[in-house]
This record gives sequence, structure tokens and C-alpha cells, in this order.
Amino acid sequence: MKKSKLIKFIFAAAAVLLVAIVPSLYAMAAPVPYVCYNYDYRENLVYTPAAYEPDRAITTDQMEYNGEKVGTLNNPGDLCKAPDGRVFVADTGNNRIIIFDDQITKVLGIINSFNDGKKEQKFKTPSGVCVSSIGYLYVADTKGKRIVVFDNNLDFVKYIENPTSEVLEESFVFNPLKVSVDYAERVYCIADNQFEGIMVFDTDGQFTGFYGTIEVKISNWDKFWKRIASKAERSKQRLYIPTTFTGMDIDSAGFVYASNIDSDGKQGVRRLNPKGEDVIKKGENGNVGGDLRTDGVGTYAGASQFVDVVYRDNGIYSCLDRKRGRIFTYDHEGNLLYIFGGLGTQEGTFQMPSAIESLGDRIVILDSNRNSIFIFKETEYGNLINEAVALRYDGDEKLAVDVWKRVLELDENNELANTGIGKAYLTAGDYKQAMKYLRLGMNRTYYSIAFRRYRNNILKQNIGYILTVLLVLIIAFVVWRKVKGKKGVKKNA
Amino acid sequence: MREAFSKEKWKYLFYTIRHPMDGFYWIRHQERGSVPIAILCVIIFSLTFTGNRLLAAFIVNKIDPRNVDSWFELLGVLAFFLLICVSNWSITCLLNGEGRLKDIAIAIGYSTVPITIILAVATALSYAVADNEQALYSLLVAVGIAYGLIIMLIGIMQIHNYTLGKTMITLGLTFLAMLIIVFLLLLLSNLIGLVINFFRSVYIEIIFR
Repeated sequence: MKKSKLIKFIFAAAAVLLVAIVPSLYAMAAPVPYVCYNYDYRENLVYTPAAYEPDRAITTDQMEYNGEKVGTLNNPGDLCKAPDGRVFVADTGNNRIIIFDDQITKVLGIINSFNDGKKEQKFKTPSGVCVSSIGYLYVADTKGKRIVVFDNNLDFVKYIENPTSEVLEESFVFNPLKVSVDYAERVYCIADNQFEGIMVFDTDGQFTGFYGTIEVKISNWDKFWKRIASKAERSKQRLYIPTTFTGMDIDSAGFVYASNIDSDGKQGVRRLNPKGEDVIKKGENGNVGGDLRTDGVGTYAGASQFVDVVYRDNGIYSCLDRKRGRIFTYDHEGNLLYIFGGLGTQEGTFQMPSAIESLGDRIVILDSNRNSIFIFKETEYGNLINEAVALRYDGDEKLAVDVWKRVLELDENNELANTGIGKAYLTAGDYKQAMKYLRLGMNRTYYSIAFRRYRNNILKQNIGYILTVLLVLIIAFVVWRKVKGKKGVKKNA
Repeated sequence: MREAFSKEKWKYLFYTIRHPMDGFYWIRHQERGSVPIAILCVIIFSLTFTGNRLLAAFIVNKIDPRNVDSWFELLGVLAFFLLICVSNWSITCLLNGEGRLKDIAIAIGYSTVPITIILAVATALSYAVADNEQALYSLLVAVGIAYGLIIMLIGIMQIHNYTLGKTMITLGLTFLAMLIIVFLLLLLSNLIGLVINFFRSVYIEIIFR
């Protein structure tokens, strides 16, 4: 009898536990089809809440324009947001440009062909698209070997083609892949097989030069092998050519964010100033190259491969990784804010992501293999981080503290949040609190500053006591020496 | 045992640290040293070493505390101590060294003491240094280690009655001997494993017959 009661009790307890635990487990598991993580100070993986979650997947099959079916996208190459909110997609395989409204719910227009003043022209695999700040549309018509410019009414304006310059090889064929335009209507173009950098064209469409060349890194070890190799061997070795840029975006101040594929995984994105120098900040670990842990076997291992970058507001930019289908978001100091996305066939995962764009609080990804557009919307977690980083970017560190504290409620070990709070306390002069949070944020530099001020304060307040104790000790020591000396003399005598 | 830990021996330990030339000479010739104290010194050194890694202040300490295992480190340091002593002894035996295994153990054990003291001081001091004073901390630790190594060198020189040049040569050979010993140990353990495996398979075969 007693035994059965015990068993009953155990069952009841187990049932209660199950009821108590299971829903919370479900609640904890993020409803996203990918793993959300970040790297801590020691470059260990830490799992975080999702910063963005899949909102919608858009295929154009069912969409209609002027009573006709739009049809499936075919290997779309690029997507771009116009200043008025419309979204332009380069439907590369179908040789057309599709214009969506700002929510990508309906098609506002399709450019299949255009009249260049002489005759009706068609695109040949247009793989890049960009709308300038005055509303001009630039299309990188790859196989057409030209950039086509349209005005606000989508009427043809001009071609940018046949760049001529001494620095260009005679045999160079201009196959523009990606195009971007800055506030002064200068055109930046990434061309196929052009390793010198981004090609820049002035307002008249004249080629003015290369921009942001990536320097080739040759190690001393490579140089050594090169030296002892014979000519025949050398001709068979791989050439040291710089990697090309893969995608770009221009911020309102004219800085160009350009992504490239870095096989070392150290720097997959550059921020180029008007002179073409890289001025990106790389954060504590000196890395803006995506995943830090890239070991493993098979095609899934290896450094991240950034294919596109989007500059969002307040110094935040997101990079799109083709290797593992992830989106890495950095702030203006090069801190990795959050990671989301993945490869797969579910909604919100990709097979061959090709372009990224930001629409307010949404992030749009174009997948050229699944021929779809994926929209991600920010979660509370992502929103709070964006907000806090924005506040800090504007210099409102004090206001940012409250937001960072809410981030900590969602993700207790968030080092950025702890550092942010610590820095605010540091400026406010509360060094003890600053030390506590900077320690949690593993920020040695600022912890050290807080600690020095804290220590010096203590020293200043207690300098009287310290000096007194020191004096007493010295006197005691002198007396002790004298007494001991006398004893020694006695012993010897 | 009481004699090994007597007051004179302790006093002589600190005398040796301050006057290594003299100190180690009389350790060899007058039984002034004590092996138990030397082993204790090594154990304390190991604990201080772990303590420094775990407890040094955040600013100077870049070690992930999750990677520090004091028990494992103690065993490692003791094993290393034994390895050095045995390999040095086996080399110096062949090269007219006068020191006994006992003397070598004392020389090496005693010379860890300055490192121990300075590590402890540095660990305490680390709580008072800020960013630009880190150099002070590293310098202190470096000086401690250098001093320890120098008196270790002097100790080995004195107990074997070598010249400095010969000491250097024997130390190089000691390093080789250490490698050989490690290699032999690995080989031995591997072979023993094979033998055990063989008997186990025989046993299993018999059982399933």
C-alpha cells in the first residue's frame, strides 16, 4: 500500500514537472529556423535570442502587373531601395527590372525594354541595380557591357560604357556587375574580372579611375618559396591577384561600404573614404570577417564569404554571408552586434543569397537560387540593440543605459550591453559601478581607465593615513635596526 | 623528518637564495639542504603559479579561468620536476658531475623559491596597477623568473663542481635526455597497452568459446 502511494506521488510530481517545464521550453526556443549566436570576448560561441525573425517570403509567381502574371524570378542578382521607398529588383535571368512598392506586396512596374533614342533596347543579364538620391535609376547591364541610366520617370538618359583610360588594358571588356551612386551622382561600379578595385565614373559618365584597391598580402614565407622556385615551377603557381569586391553600399556622407571575399576570414568588408582608403574600425578582436569559428570539414567549413553589404542608419551595417547564409551586423566601432540567418529550404533560410537591403526595421534578402525575396523583421531584442547603438552613435550614452539594461534582461551576458552601461557610468563618474559592468563586458581598456580613477580617488582621500603609516613603519624599522645592532655587538663581545 | 624541516634547514634555504654560490656548495658538501623542503617548495610554486593565473587582477590577467585546473597543474609541475632531476642526474653521472640526485632535487627545488615569492607579490600588486602600469607587473614577473633561472644555473654548476660552459652543455644534454625519457615513456605505455589489449582479447575469446 505504501509503495503504491509512493509511486503515485512520483508520477504526480513528474507530471507537475512536465507541465511546468515543457511550455517554458517551448517559449524559450526561438521560433526561427536558424541558430542565433554571437561570439564572446574569448571568441567562444554564446547563444542569443533572435535579433531578426522571418516575416515573409515573396515569390512573384502569383503577382500580377497590368493584368498579366509576373512569373517567377530567374536568378535575380540585386535589389535596391529607392529614396521614395520603392524596391527595384534586377531579375537577371529574365532580363528585366521589377519595381515593387515599399512593402514588396505588389508590382508597380516592369522594365523589359527601353528606347535609347535610336531604337528599342533590351537588357542582357542586368545583375546590378541602384537608385540615386535624386531618383535616377542605374542598371548594370552585364552582358550589354554598359550601365544604363534612367531618370525619375524611368525614361532613358544615357549609357555609361566603353571606359577608356591609360590604366585600363586594351583587351579589357567592361562587364559591370554591381553599381552604386553617391550623393554627387558619381557612379561606382564593380566590374567582372577587374582586380584593380571599384571603377569610378564622374557625372558625365567618364571613367576617372580606380577606387579602394585591395592590396595583395604576400607573406615572407611565400616570398621565400617564390625565390627558390624555378621559372617553370613559378609559372604553375597560383597568381597573387587581389580579391574583387562583391557588393557595395554608400552612406549619406559618401563613404563606400564594399564587401569582398576574404579567404582568411579577417576582413570581409571595407569602409572607403573619398580617397579610397579603408577606414573601417575592426573592434576589439580586429575582425570584420564574419564567423570567427570556421573550422570543420566539408563545404560548410571555411571563412565567411560576404557577397553584399548594406549600410543602415547610425553607423550600423549588415553583411551577407554566402557560405553559411548568415547576416552579420556590425556597429561603427566594428563590434559584432548580432548574427541571424542560415542555409536551408525553410522560410527564412537561403540557398544562394545574393543581395541585402534594409527597409526601415526590416531586412530584405534576395535569394538567387530560390528566386525569392525574404523579409526579416526585427524582434524586441534586435530593436533594443539597434536603438542602443543608435543612441551611443549620437553620443547619448546616458539614454542608452536604460536600453542596454533592457537588453541585459533578454540576454544577460551581452558584453556590448555591459560595456555600454559601464562606459556611461564611467562618464558619469561612478567608477565602482563602471568597473563592475566593464568587467562583465570584458572591456579591459575602459575597465583600466575606471580602475585608475577609482584607485586615485581612494589614494587622494586617504593620503594622510597612508603617509602616517609609512612614517611609523620607517621609524619602527630604524629603531629595530638599532636595537638589533646593539644586541649583535653584545653577542660578538 | 623533523630534522628535514628543522629551523636551520629553513634558514639555510633563504641563505642559499641570497648567496647561491656559497649556499649550493655547502649543500653538496655539508648536507645543509633538505629534499622534503625542496619538494614542498615545488608544490608551493605550483600552487602560486595556479594562483597567479586564477587570481591576478582582471587588467593583467588574460587567462580564461575555465582553462585552469590547479590539480592538473600540480601534477604536471611535479612530473616535470621529477623529469628534470632524473634527466640531469643521468647526464651528469656520465660527465663527472659530483652532485647526487638528492642535490639536484634540492638545487632545482630551492631555485623555484624566488619565482614563487615574486609571483605572489606580483599577484597582490596586480590589484593596484592600471593600464599603463602593466609593464611594471610584467617586469617584476620577468625579473623573478630570471633570478630563479640564474640561481638554478648556479646551483647545478656548484653541486656538480662544473665550469659555466660545462653546465650549459650538460643542460642542453639534459633537455635531450628529457625528450628521450618522454619518448620512452610514451613507447612503454603504448606497448603495455598493446599487451593488455592482447590478454583482454584472449580472455574474451575464451569466454565466448
